[in-house]
Amino acid sequence: MATTGIRGQARQDAIAGWLFVAPALAILGIFLVVPILFAAYYSFTDWNGISPPTEARLIGLRNYYDLLLSGGIKQQDFFKALKNTTYFALGVVPLQTGAALVLAVIVNQRGLRFKDFFRTAYYFPSITSSIAISLIFLFLYQKSGLVNYVLEVITFGRWEPIAWLADARGLFHILLEPLGITLRTGPEFLRAKVAGLTLWDWISGPSVALTAIMLQNSWTTTGTMMVIFLAALQDIPSFVYEAAQIDGANNWQIFWKITLPLLRPTLFFVITLGLIGTYQVFDQIYVMTSGGPAKTTLTMAYIVYRNGFRNSEMGLGLATAVLLFAIIFLLTMLQRRITEAREG
Amino acid sequence: MRHRTLWTLLAALTVLAMVLAACAVPAAPQAPAEEAAPAQEAAPAEEMAPEEEAQVVELTLMGWASSEAENTRLQQVVDVFNEQNPDIQVTLNLVPSYDEKLQASLAGGSPPDVFYIDSFRLPDLVEAGALEPYEPQALDPDDFYPSLRNAFTWDGTFWCPPKDFSTLALEYNKDLFDAAGLDYPTPDWTWDDLRAAAEALTDPDNGVYGIVLSADFARWIAFLYQAGGSVTDEGYTQMTINSPEALEAMEFYVGLVLDGYAAQPSDLDSGWNGEAFGKGRAAMAIEGNWINPYLQDQFPDLNWGVTELPSGPGGQATMAFTVCYGVPAAGMYKEESFRLVNFLTGPEGMQMWTDLGLAMPTRRSLREGWLEKFPALEPFLNGAEYAHKWQFVPGFSDVMDTINSGLQEAMAGTKLPEDVLAEAEAVGNEILARWRERKGQ
Repeated sequence: MATTGIRGQARQDAIAGWLFVAPALAILGIFLVVPILFAAYYSFTDWNGISPPTEARLIGLRNYYDLLLSGGIKQQDFFKALKNTTYFALGVVPLQTGAALVLAVIVNQRGLRFKDFFRTAYYFPSITSSIAISLIFLFLYQKSGLVNYVLEVITFGRWEPIAWLADARGLFHILLEPLGITLRTGPEFLRAKVAGLTLWDWISGPSVALTAIMLQNSWTTTGTMMVIFLAALQDIPSFVYEAAQIDGANNWQIFWKITLPLLRPTLFFVITLGLIGTYQVFDQIYVMTSGGPAKTTLTMAYIVYRNGFRNSEMGLGLATAVLLFAIIFLLTMLQRRITEAREG
Repeated sequence: MRHRTLWTLLAALTVLAMVLAACAVPAAPQAPAEEAAPAQEAAPAEEMAPEEEAQVVELTLMGWASSEAENTRLQQVVDVFNEQNPDIQVTLNLVPSYDEKLQASLAGGSPPDVFYIDSFRLPDLVEAGALEPYEPQALDPDDFYPSLRNAFTWDGTFWCPPKDFSTLALEYNKDLFDAAGLDYPTPDWTWDDLRAAAEALTDPDNGVYGIVLSADFARWIAFLYQAGGSVTDEGYTQMTINSPEALEAMEFYVGLVLDGYAAQPSDLDSGWNGEAFGKGRAAMAIEGNWINPYLQDQFPDLNWGVTELPSGPGGQATMAFTVCYGVPAAGMYKEESFRLVNFLTGPEGMQMWTDLGLAMPTRRSLREGWLEKFPALEPFLNGAEYAHKWQFVPGFSDVMDTINSGLQEAMAGTKLPEDVLAEAEAVGNEILARWRERKGQ
């Protein structure tokens, strides 16, 4: 008797539970799962995005072929975007994660004065509209803008002002130039083509324009990541620190041996969020550069938009989106492997 | 166990949502104008008689938001139409992210009754079968400038009437010309005159350049046509951009920058040509008539004039950027929609709209009346006689990007004009082939 009573209770609980989550699941289903399936299906069609989707024809893997293997402009732009986005992620993720961790540790100090002020100040860029921020940075990055001015002052006038967002030179290319390595003087293999781009193109590094947007993006997202770290830091019980202090550990050792290992799950979370966010970078590009100069700020999300809405090739755009999803998924899995391997 | 229930539920939801979506999607396209419109017209008399308002057809006019003055004026024009046509009630809907919204509403099968179409975007919409041709309903179509009618003609059909237009002309800073002791530019200038003036006006010590030129296909293309070149052949079967004429045009354009007589807006602390010109950092600029309200607003003290673009080896040429009022093939009230379109682009509506002095009338018959009010803008209006249309095939943005990117590199001195043109030709031919393949399905 007693057991059936408990079982009946459990069943009722389960029904109640499902009822509670049903609205959320329905919304997720309609606005997330269905569009994803929709996108996946239409990535195999020639849908132009203007006529009703029912008129689209299935064309098999054609869109994927065009993006990955065709050897034409679509492939070239896809890999250019992949290259740019990867440099973007490689720059932004470590920068914003590191900066966020440092800031979180600082504002978590017990003795710090005006703690709330700093916490708010660091978080502020994250809650401001990215469009508004982009418009302001357009001014800061001008040739006679504030960024050049500050650089001129701190280098005592040795800094030559540049138009940041119009500068297509790759950072690594700039570094290689004093070594006498340019496209003309470099070894022959640099001119070999890999996936539509020359090797020289692949190793360009982010362009000056892309770097400018990377710095801006890091500045905006650091606050969000800081808040996540801060929450995790406050979850670390104080007796762990006290025990370490009694054992004679100094602050440096405490940070590396206590704080950082205990933050590992949070670190995984922040890096994952960062990877996903950077691989999807769009609004800054849309507002500030539209993919230019010389296609060096063309990103994956931006070519999804461009193929879908500018070129009336929604099928191709959706294929790009599906590939972007696959890339992010693989990277996240890979990163999880790495984190888990270290823990194990 | 738990997982399985979760998946079952998720699957059930997905199916449900898909069914819902499947019901929703075909419903709209299946009730297109041919069937729906007559039904609407036939039904009312008896059935809806009790309600007085039942006979009023409600139309939506969608466009993109412009300046405050223009938005207000368009609303006034629409109000006049509503007054004159008690059986039609038009709501003006000016939206941001216009292209995306329009595309979504067309694909969803419930487009606005009348909407803006940029000439560049027309081929995309026509080939998607989204438009109802204007030609059978056209009101005195021969009155429109041929260059503008041509900009909205695709596959031999005149699809929608131009609401207004802009052309490129040469703006010059009178004070800087006076200071250099030069005569103001005139419509009979040639490239040599332009170059000589740019050289004389360049003053590196004060950071002033002769002319501001952007790495923008939409500007350079005027020089391409002035040189006698072209982008593609008539039927868009192949690119013709890799020609001696195009090379001459690009070498001239890029050469002005490389020789230091011209600079890009980004080098002059500006977002676009108009800003650099307004700031007095460049003595000349090539922009459309949209620069007029901008300069009046932002740089009211600037002493400037405007004249037609100089002639190149191939003669005179400029670009026309124009927008029309389109009616969707899937529209519910096409007859009423065309009545609205014919009012807006008819003599009365267009005169009201263009009397603001911001947009130019697309009808020849309104030319004299407009020029009496805005004589200073004559060079822009004159451009209509010899302007080329800003229009290619769907998907051509990739070619534009390639040329923009190439111009950028050529101006930085890292790429030769002939390489830019060769690349543009290759990419262009690929895009043209792609377009033909998609079209000939």
